[in-house]
Amino acid sequence: MPPPLHPRPPLSLPRRTLLARCGAGFGLLALDRLLAEEGTGAQTSTGGSPHFAPKAKRVIWLFINGGPSQVDTFDYKPELAKRDGEPLAGFDANTGFFAGSVGGLMKSPFTFRQHGESGAWVSEIFPRLAGHVDRMAFVNSCWTDSNNHAPALLRLNTGNTRVGSPCTGSWVTYGLGSENRDLPGFVVMVDTKGRGLPKGYAQNWSAGFLPGAFQGTGLDTAGPPIANLARRAAMTDHEQRAQFDLAARLNARHRDRTGTDGELEARIESYELAYRMQMTAPEALDLATETRETLDLYGLDDPTCGHFARQCLTARRLVERGVRFVQIYSGGEENQQSWDGHADIRGNHAGFAAETDRPIAALLEDLDRRGLLDETLAVWGGEFGRLPIAQKGDQPGRDHNPHAFTMWLAGGGVKGGVTHGASDEFGFKAVENRVSVNDLHATILHLLGLDHTRLTHRFNGRDFRLTDVSGAVIRGIVA
Amino acid sequence: MSQISFLRHCLKLPTAMVGVVLMVWSALGMALINSALGMALINSALGMALINSALGMALINSALGMAPIASAAEPSATEPSADERGLELFMGLRDVLVHRCAGCHGAGSTSHEGGLDLSTRDTLLAGGGRGPAVVPGRAAESLLYRLAAKLEEPHMPEEGDPLPADVLARLAEWIDRGAPYDRPLIEAGDRGPWTERMIDPRARRSWPFTPLAAVAVPTAADPDGWCRTPIDRFILARLREAGLAPAPMADRRTLRRRLAADLTGLPATPAEIRAFIDDQREDAVAEVVDDLLSRPTFGERQAQHWLDIARYAESFGYEQDYDRPHAHAYRDFVVSAFHDDLPFDTFLRWQIAGDELAPDIPAARIATGFLAAGAFPTQLTEKEFESARSGELDDIVSTIGTAMLGLTVGCARCHDHKFDPLPQADYYRLAATFTATVRSNAEIAIAPERHALAVAAWQAELDRAVAARRRIEEEELPARFDAWIAAWQPAEAGSAPDWRPGRIVAVTSRAGTPLTALADGSFLAAGAPANDDTYTFTLDFPSEPLVSLRIDALADPSLPRGGPGRVAHGNFALSNLTVAAAPIPAAGAEPVFSPVKLGAPRADFSQPGLDVSHAIDDSPTSGWAIDPHVGQSHVAIFDFAEPVGYPGGCRLMVTLDFRTSPHHAIGRPRIAAATVAGFAPIPVTPEADPVDRARSDAWLISHLVARSDRTAAESAELRRLQAGSDEGWRAADAFVRTSEGARPKPETVTALVAGDHLTPIPHHADGRGYPHAYPETWFLRRGDVRQREGVATAGFLQVLSRAPEETWRQGAGQESAGAGRRAALARWITDPEAGAGSLAARVIVNRIWQQYFGTGLVATPSDFGAQSDPPSHPELLEWLAGELVRGGWRLQPIHRLIVTSATYRQSSTAAPRALLEDPRNRLLSHFRRRRLDAEGVRDALLAISGALDPSLGGRAGPDDASPRRSLYLDVKRSRPSPFLRAFDAPDRVTGMGKRAVTTTAPQVLLLMNGPAVRRWAEAFAARVVAEPHRFRDEVSDETAPIDTAYALALGRAPTDDELAAAVAFLAGQTAAYAAAGQADPTATSLADFCQVLLGLNETLHVE
Repeated sequence: MPPPLHPRPPLSLPRRTLLARCGAGFGLLALDRLLAEEGTGAQTSTGGSPHFAPKAKRVIWLFINGGPSQVDTFDYKPELAKRDGEPLAGFDANTGFFAGSVGGLMKSPFTFRQHGESGAWVSEIFPRLAGHVDRMAFVNSCWTDSNNHAPALLRLNTGNTRVGSPCTGSWVTYGLGSENRDLPGFVVMVDTKGRGLPKGYAQNWSAGFLPGAFQGTGLDTAGPPIANLARRAAMTDHEQRAQFDLAARLNARHRDRTGTDGELEARIESYELAYRMQMTAPEALDLATETRETLDLYGLDDPTCGHFARQCLTARRLVERGVRFVQIYSGGEENQQSWDGHADIRGNHAGFAAETDRPIAALLEDLDRRGLLDETLAVWGGEFGRLPIAQKGDQPGRDHNPHAFTMWLAGGGVKGGVTHGASDEFGFKAVENRVSVNDLHATILHLLGLDHTRLTHRFNGRDFRLTDVSGAVIRGIVA
Repeated sequence: MSQISFLRHCLKLPTAMVGVVLMVWSALGMALINSALGMALINSALGMALINSALGMALINSALGMAPIASAAEPSATEPSADERGLELFMGLRDVLVHRCAGCHGAGSTSHEGGLDLSTRDTLLAGGGRGPAVVPGRAAESLLYRLAAKLEEPHMPEEGDPLPADVLARLAEWIDRGAPYDRPLIEAGDRGPWTERMIDPRARRSWPFTPLAAVAVPTAADPDGWCRTPIDRFILARLREAGLAPAPMADRRTLRRRLAADLTGLPATPAEIRAFIDDQREDAVAEVVDDLLSRPTFGERQAQHWLDIARYAESFGYEQDYDRPHAHAYRDFVVSAFHDDLPFDTFLRWQIAGDELAPDIPAARIATGFLAAGAFPTQLTEKEFESARSGELDDIVSTIGTAMLGLTVGCARCHDHKFDPLPQADYYRLAATFTATVRSNAEIAIAPERHALAVAAWQAELDRAVAARRRIEEEELPARFDAWIAAWQPAEAGSAPDWRPGRIVAVTSRAGTPLTALADGSFLAAGAPANDDTYTFTLDFPSEPLVSLRIDALADPSLPRGGPGRVAHGNFALSNLTVAAAPIPAAGAEPVFSPVKLGAPRADFSQPGLDVSHAIDDSPTSGWAIDPHVGQSHVAIFDFAEPVGYPGGCRLMVTLDFRTSPHHAIGRPRIAAATVAGFAPIPVTPEADPVDRARSDAWLISHLVARSDRTAAESAELRRLQAGSDEGWRAADAFVRTSEGARPKPETVTALVAGDHLTPIPHHADGRGYPHAYPETWFLRRGDVRQREGVATAGFLQVLSRAPEETWRQGAGQESAGAGRRAALARWITDPEAGAGSLAARVIVNRIWQQYFGTGLVATPSDFGAQSDPPSHPELLEWLAGELVRGGWRLQPIHRLIVTSATYRQSSTAAPRALLEDPRNRLLSHFRRRRLDAEGVRDALLAISGALDPSLGGRAGPDDASPRRSLYLDVKRSRPSPFLRAFDAPDRVTGMGKRAVTTTAPQVLLLMNGPAVRRWAEAFAARVVAEPHRFRDEVSDETAPIDTAYALALGRAPTDDELAAAVAFLAGQTAAYAAAGQADPTATSLADFCQVLLGLNETLHVE
């Protein structure tokens, strides 16, 4: 009997839930061996559910690439204005990247004002974000281990300055899976203005030693969004459906002949999932159904911020549909292509702030009014901070500073309107309630209901975790 | 082999593993109940019997850890207890105590919280700020229990979930039984400096650190004659113990496909399958196996496995992820090594120290690409220099540990290994082996044997030519001399030549640089450039007074950047030029030189600040140089203050001194002198000889013929000139010169290698002073480069050393500090008697086993340590490793043994009972179906579609659409092949011994929508039309393409049902495409069909 073409025939098997971890990676249906044999003792991993009740279900990480200056954004240092031009006593010229361009203390070119009930200080470059400070928990005492982009990016993404470790998004989807198996569980969006990728490129969203299915899926909001998602142009759904049906039928015969097997079942199922993804993913990414009011809120038609607005709005649509982890990079590779303001800190930061202020503010607003903010964690920050002293040049900039930087978190499980930790009077070094990258990771995992000491994976005989051997949850910002 | 030695492994198994397997299987839904049952049974099959007998041995086991030698005489720092149940409880609780408590309450923790340290029983009893943690025998009064059981605050552990009830119950019982320790929880760090820590020698008695044991092949009854190889006897014995029977043999088609996929990574062709089905002889399998083992594709397949382990890639990773265009020489070496069955011990040794052990063998030097394969940052700041170097050494040490020894040596970077007897000191002593080792791109001569043969042939030819010329000189020319003189027409007056070459008396280099005369009068330097050098040219000018001297510095392709200098960037610096003159002495007399004063220096180009005048300023720090005009020839001319000449000719000694900068000698100098002053420097090329030799000779002959009082030297000169004007001699001489120039050049390849003190690959941070390597490797407390604790000397893992370290050094290290360190390590790692060779042998045979059965005898192929599962068939593993060593470390016999075994030839259909009792098939009651690995999938698609380009070696570029085998796709770390990554290829940053196998929807999207796969499907469809195959007799025009597609993809005929589905599909698609007005609906439909076949489970699985 020839297989019917329409309507879609049921698979010969009763549909069954194959794996609680479904959708953990991009459309992951089965993960053989690794866990069964190489893997994990009783204290490790999660089996796809959190260790304890989560405060947040999803993460949107706004990666402010290149190292935004804490003292020109959220960590207000009036002392810099008073001591403008004075040398910074005891400064080690090798702290930043350019030892030969060390200048004196430099006041921020921007004015700061207090906002909200919390009275948080915000630079003038974020007029709209300033309206959301009571949702944010600022951590002004972050520090990291490297004064060099690639290792610092890797550190913030993977917890390790060396390549080869899974990034946070991979760990989270490995531990929790995703709520929508028709979409990738972990999505990464990079600059769409041709300014390049963050240094280290895809190593920043690599799954490292975890299976490739947990790596970040690149999503292009400016072109074909996901590789291989669309069928050939010369083929209609009718013909493709017939192809999928034939595959299903032949694979089912094969299974019937050879005896049942979890992996064969999963592969049969993967055809159905792939077919469905072709419909679901484009729908999720189609902004045409958004209202004009929403589009305007984000600034989609604004030539300055439209590209980033598109990514933020897409992020909202993804988390709305259960995507677990979304990372958006603001800025391209380095120097003036990103927040890496070695020269002209004023122009650099004002420019990138103008690209992101409205979309990020809109994202917080939009998540909130849809009831999503309570269970969506937003993270803002870059791989390190910038020095309070000038990097000399025609238009002074600021060099890399691993000793202090600011990140803020908002949404799911985060106390609003608080500031945790402090840097010194110049914003040079974190001095009070210092927060390491491990602490930050521990906190993100904690908000997601994961104990960072128990989210482990055994590889080459060792139990690895995102936080290696340290890390403590930043209790002060957890609601 | 004693069962005792597996004790540690067995103890790990029960609770933790059941938990994990339950978790995984419960994810698979309905499999839950079965798997739980199965797991319990397999535990009993594998471990429980051992556990019971092992309990009594707990005290022996306690010797496994590390202790300073000083205290080794004492049985243990803790009081032994006779209560075996107490010890058993403790061993069960050890993991919990280590992981949940000792982080804060252990000797290794930064501050013992509350002052409490649970490391040893003594410190436990001593307690912390709140008194003893335990009252032995009274759990209910013991603080440890009360806090953990939430009877008192603060509740412990502070982080994470409370301890489960069953753990609490065991904790209580343990305390009630006196809280005995078998060994410290964490080895104390305060008993002697950690950098000198010795292991307890008894640790060497425990598997897998033992020498290879003699194992008898089981002789159990085999009434059915199932066994074909000794392997089968081991397998059958265990199956029988478990009450299971082997599965029937796989059918011949399945077996042939399995052999092809496993041994070559490519599908069997229809013809091969047909031939094997038809050949029912008993030895047909052996013949097929021999054939497959002999194919280069076997080498490729094996290389694929090893490259995962060796974290091979063709880019640096990190910041810019620059390409490593010469890395693939190592990959091609690995292919050849497996194809040629290079003994595995040699294979390992060369990868560590091929340059030291066999410097004349190109493959041995290329093999060091293993050490160079790790990722490394290409941008560093000063703050990162030392930690980056430390990380680089860690990559090497960790990879050697996991890849070669199956030990997680890298875990000992920051602290003593938590589970295995690997002290942190051992780690740094291993790392010190590589103190001076850096990455370099080396030009390596390959195929030396071929080159030697060619040189010998060339030499014979040259000898014949020289003999022919000598015959003319000795037999013909003297007879014609007088007639030649008589017939000489004197040259015209005033026709003196411009530049005269002089006759070379001697050319020397103070540094011993070989200088080879070329036909144009220049000399080419070779060998490694010396720091400082002095060339001395002694030349005779039998002619009129000389007035100018000319130095050519000629470009040459053999020089760095084309020269003319020898330093890496092609420049030279002539520090000083001196000239002395003497009358040409009589034979046997010494010349008497007088200095010649030079002036009027001029050159075609002088580097700013390094003017040609500096060549005669007597200062060794200044000189003549030509940067940036490298890669082209240059000339300088100097006039003599007064004309220089003597009756009977003049001998000049020209000295070129190079000491302004290291390596700055001229690579191809030429000297000439002039009899007429006033020459300006003219642009020169390597081809242009400034001397008009014919004119010079004619002038000289006339000059000498006219002299009646010729000296002996002048007569000899005249005879040489006669030869030069004799056509016969000239022809013979030209032939000699042509032959000389035709010396076969060695074939070379540029390879990414590693070695000590090589020229490192340039780094962005070179300008910041990045040293690439440090003079020493230091012990680093907590792995922190800021906490140096003394210099680490190179050494080996103590637990795998049964002889003094000198055993492996063999006198190395005499010449210079550190020389031969890697060679020593290489000898140790492959020494099966006293070194690590026994473990290396176990690890590789286990890896091979895993290739064929999906899981190794040890399931964690890169971890044989205490954390690994016990081997499923310990005696078989021991026997196979022994076979390898006894067989001279040849791997192919091991492969042959395995794939000709009855065990391997089983069907993949499992008996229901086997599935129930041994769900993971550790006992191998059937063959385990496996999806092809990423490269296997892609290569199968290429092969089936006929698009495969089977050429060997080299690079294929980065594109998945390449027709080359996947092995040859560039491995770019920041841009992994989307195809290969989708099918679980690793990231090639850290060595990986076993890949995950995932099933994902993007794999399907790739197979159904990927442009490359579609092209292959179209090629497949075209091939189906062009090359009919079939596995059944009935055929019609309608079904012929279907038959062919099945034959090519699956090696069989379609069933009736499949045929019907295919026919209907093709008809439906063709109708649909036709209705849509598409150009070639039949071909498009066939491609659609072929694409489905390419992605089928049956196509992509080894059955």
